[in-house]
Amino acid sequence: MAKVLEGPGMGLMKKWGILVPNYAVVVSVDELTKLGEANEWLKKSKLVVKAHEAMGSRFKLGLVKVDLDFKGAQAAAKEMLGRQVGSITVSQVIVSEMVPHKDEYYAAVKSTRDGAEVLVANCGGIEVESNWDRVKKLSLEAGDAPSQQALEKLAKEAGFSGEVAKKMAAFAGKLFACFDSEDAQYLEVNPVVARQSDGELIALDAVTLLDGDAKFRHPDWNFPFAAEFGRAYTKHEMEVMAVDSKIKGSVKFIEIPGGDTAMLPAGGGASVYYSDAVVARGGKLANYAEYSGDPPDWAVEVLTEKVCSLPGIKNIIVGGAIANFTDVKKTFGGIIAGFRKAKADGKLKSVKIWVRRGGPREKEGLEAMKALREEGFDIHVYDRHTPLTDIVDMALQKK
Amino acid sequence: MSILANKDTWVVIQGGAAGLNAARRMAEFCYMIKRPLNVEAFVYPPDAGKTNEVSYGNGLLTIPVYKSVADATAHHPQINTSLVYIGADRASAAGMEALNDPKIHAVSMITEGVPEKDAKLLGRHARKLGKVFNGPSSIGVISAGECRLGVIGGAFDNLVSCKLYRPGSFGVITKSGGLSNEIIWICSQFADGITTAIGIGGDAYPGTDYVSYLEMFEKDPQTKAVVIVGEMGGDLEERAAEWYGAKKRRIKLLAVVSGFCQESLPKGMKFGHAGAKEGMKGEGSARSKADAFKKAGATVPDTFGGLGPAIKAAYEDLVQSGQVKPIPDLSPADVPKLPRTVDEAMKSGDVVVAPLIKTTISDDRGDEPCYDGYPASELINKGYEIPHVIGLLWDKRLISKQEAEIIKRIMMLSADHGPCVSGALGTIIAACAGIGMSQSVAAGLIMIGPRFGGAVTDAGRYFKYAIDHKLSVDDFLTYMKKNVGPVPGIGHRVKSLRNPDKRVKELVGYVKSLGIKTPHLDFALAVEQVTAAKKDNLILNVDGTMAAVLVDLGFPVDSLNGFFILSRTIGLIGHWVDQKRQESRLIRLFDYLVNYAAPKKREVPPLK
Repeated sequence: MAKVLEGPGMGLMKKWGILVPNYAVVVSVDELTKLGEANEWLKKSKLVVKAHEAMGSRFKLGLVKVDLDFKGAQAAAKEMLGRQVGSITVSQVIVSEMVPHKDEYYAAVKSTRDGAEVLVANCGGIEVESNWDRVKKLSLEAGDAPSQQALEKLAKEAGFSGEVAKKMAAFAGKLFACFDSEDAQYLEVNPVVARQSDGELIALDAVTLLDGDAKFRHPDWNFPFAAEFGRAYTKHEMEVMAVDSKIKGSVKFIEIPGGDTAMLPAGGGASVYYSDAVVARGGKLANYAEYSGDPPDWAVEVLTEKVCSLPGIKNIIVGGAIANFTDVKKTFGGIIAGFRKAKADGKLKSVKIWVRRGGPREKEGLEAMKALREEGFDIHVYDRHTPLTDIVDMALQKK
Repeated sequence: MSILANKDTWVVIQGGAAGLNAARRMAEFCYMIKRPLNVEAFVYPPDAGKTNEVSYGNGLLTIPVYKSVADATAHHPQINTSLVYIGADRASAAGMEALNDPKIHAVSMITEGVPEKDAKLLGRHARKLGKVFNGPSSIGVISAGECRLGVIGGAFDNLVSCKLYRPGSFGVITKSGGLSNEIIWICSQFADGITTAIGIGGDAYPGTDYVSYLEMFEKDPQTKAVVIVGEMGGDLEERAAEWYGAKKRRIKLLAVVSGFCQESLPKGMKFGHAGAKEGMKGEGSARSKADAFKKAGATVPDTFGGLGPAIKAAYEDLVQSGQVKPIPDLSPADVPKLPRTVDEAMKSGDVVVAPLIKTTISDDRGDEPCYDGYPASELINKGYEIPHVIGLLWDKRLISKQEAEIIKRIMMLSADHGPCVSGALGTIIAACAGIGMSQSVAAGLIMIGPRFGGAVTDAGRYFKYAIDHKLSVDDFLTYMKKNVGPVPGIGHRVKSLRNPDKRVKELVGYVKSLGIKTPHLDFALAVEQVTAAKKDNLILNVDGTMAAVLVDLGFPVDSLNGFFILSRTIGLIGHWVDQKRQESRLIRLFDYLVNYAAPKKREVPPLK
């Protein structure tokens, strides 16, 4: 799942015929000033300025300003750009035209196991959040597209009538076309508004989640995907991502500030069970990590270095199930090299390392890990005969 | 008994190198259970018409590659299953092609990163046709004692330690490939092992879900219990729980779900497989899934670690109630073994091999090559140069600075001799014909022989013979005339006493200036005195001078031509690059440069 910011999200909707307000994403006040000289609407309309970053609660943080003239927009942009909120620096703002309107509606398309659901409601904004029962849905099987009649029926069920019902059906139809053609997993427009001047439906906001796996058939996806958990990626996370994009197999790394138990497990399935075991034993996770699909040893080494650099850690869990084809000796070679580097840099003092693993060349890999004891590592090594998460129990047992 | 993959499963693999690798894994399993290889064919358009080689025991099987699934099933009517292991951008089309083939009943897809939309369409299409589509991102399906479809089960040793050569009583369904192996292992240690284990893939929308497989297991009398390893996200686990709780089921169900850690993590943080994501409104959490399983009557250990004991308890129940009879373990002698490769046997020191070749000069087995024992980098760092490397590799000794200087000068003097000499001309003609560097340079090198540049070794040999046998110049010349012919190293095509070879003068001058003992050079010069007096151009040539000096330095006679070959290679490469740079065109002799002495044109007589 790949989140896309509002600007490119609106761009995709516009591509499929959905009306969106005039907007511009800018990185500096200068750029906005120049755009103002070239675009009438920036001078004539009332404007909204929002921080264009992957973060929640922008309203509360003062990162959304409404009802501005161009000067006001310039001032708002100046104030927002460069502001530091947690780990995120605001580096872009989106300036869009305010659309005078009375009524607000809601429309979305969501991926489901069988296909997709088209959702509409005849209320919008925060009202829909507290009136979820007013959202009506149309379920579609994979490969099917909704008919105009079905969409009109849906609109009527949601309480639309007459001309607006037809317009809402048409709007939902375009939203579905965008969803289906752009390999989206979730599209939400809240609110959809009826423009005061002519009653046309306009998408005022866009939540866009795309299927990152489909990027190969969308060469026009020229925008970056945004971090999905309300903060920007850290330097170390981005370095691991850069490695991940270059290799066969994968390495993943996410930091969790304040934890004391570092994770360095193998496999997308087992790694979550290891995290669960840490939480179940009252431990605090310092990170999530995973390597899988027989990645090269140097990639595992980079991952290991990042894990060893986590501040305040007491234990490192080098767990893993019995691998199908990940070479244990080779991947452990990367981990061992990372440990040695970390130790040479003065890290890993009073850190205990716990290892459990099976798979191709497990004996050699585990022997090599065990040998680290002689180099002064506080390392505890177990094979397949020790149940998967027992090393977490041992690491976190209260003494 | 088993589900989905069994003794009658015959497979076409749609894929290239990755597919071949899967076939090799499948062959290991087939060999272990002594069934013929279940991979009948490959489909991979770029390699259509070729064959793939798959090891089976100590033999090698040849499996054909076809352009399409239709081709494969037409030639191999047994095929009823496809395994797709091809790039994510082509996987969907490959899966559809297989599903649409009337002979194929089941398709399992290993490919990861397949777009969700494609996976859904494949799943729907399969259901419409009444077929099974398993995956994407599935490690495969394995039925103990019957069939391996995909790479599930790991290496051969693991297949054996998990007793996959014979069926047990437990079915396994997991999203995670690594954990499928773990559960198979646990089932073999805490119970009697598995019937069938299925990886359904960790994507958000697997083509076939837990419920379909639970129904199959319910109908398989050999399977007495099923273990599900679930993950947060989606509603597949809830559906499985609903199925289990809907009515009295024959099979026992054990389940664990991962993702409890999510409760204490920053909101929206996503871990693990693509499918492991909580819904927009909180549905699909690990807790809701675990609760659903508990409510439906399944055994749900609190942690993954609790799964072993829970499986053990379930197994003991089954034994006590008489539903399962314990299977005695195989005696160690009967445990299947994979023939080892020579490599493995060598590593464990179990075999003795007579070496094919022997080397006494260099060793590449460490971090870097060692020349006669000296690491190359250390030689560089301590100031040694190319002539020292020549000394080490040609004569197994570390030569002195002074000797190195002489060799360097010899090489500089003989690096090239213009375009007209046999070697350079050979290379230039080849270069003009568009031939590559190594062949063109070789064309030049071929010229080196008794008449061109190749007299160094022989010159050295006979000068050395003279010195070793303390011959006088006259005795030497008599010996040569009687036994050999012209003296190698003496005589030049164009140079003479009046038109001396500057290179010889230079080299002789330098060596003499060093004040070292040079008996061979002195002898060669003495020979020249006599021969040149007889005929003007019978002078000591550059081959002879090099030979005498090098023998004086102690180089073995058989290495001497090497100095000329090596030096002249520098020039030949230069000529090739030069012609290439000029984009020279094909050349040929003009007929006026040929004396046509062949018979005149005449009539061909009738064939008798």
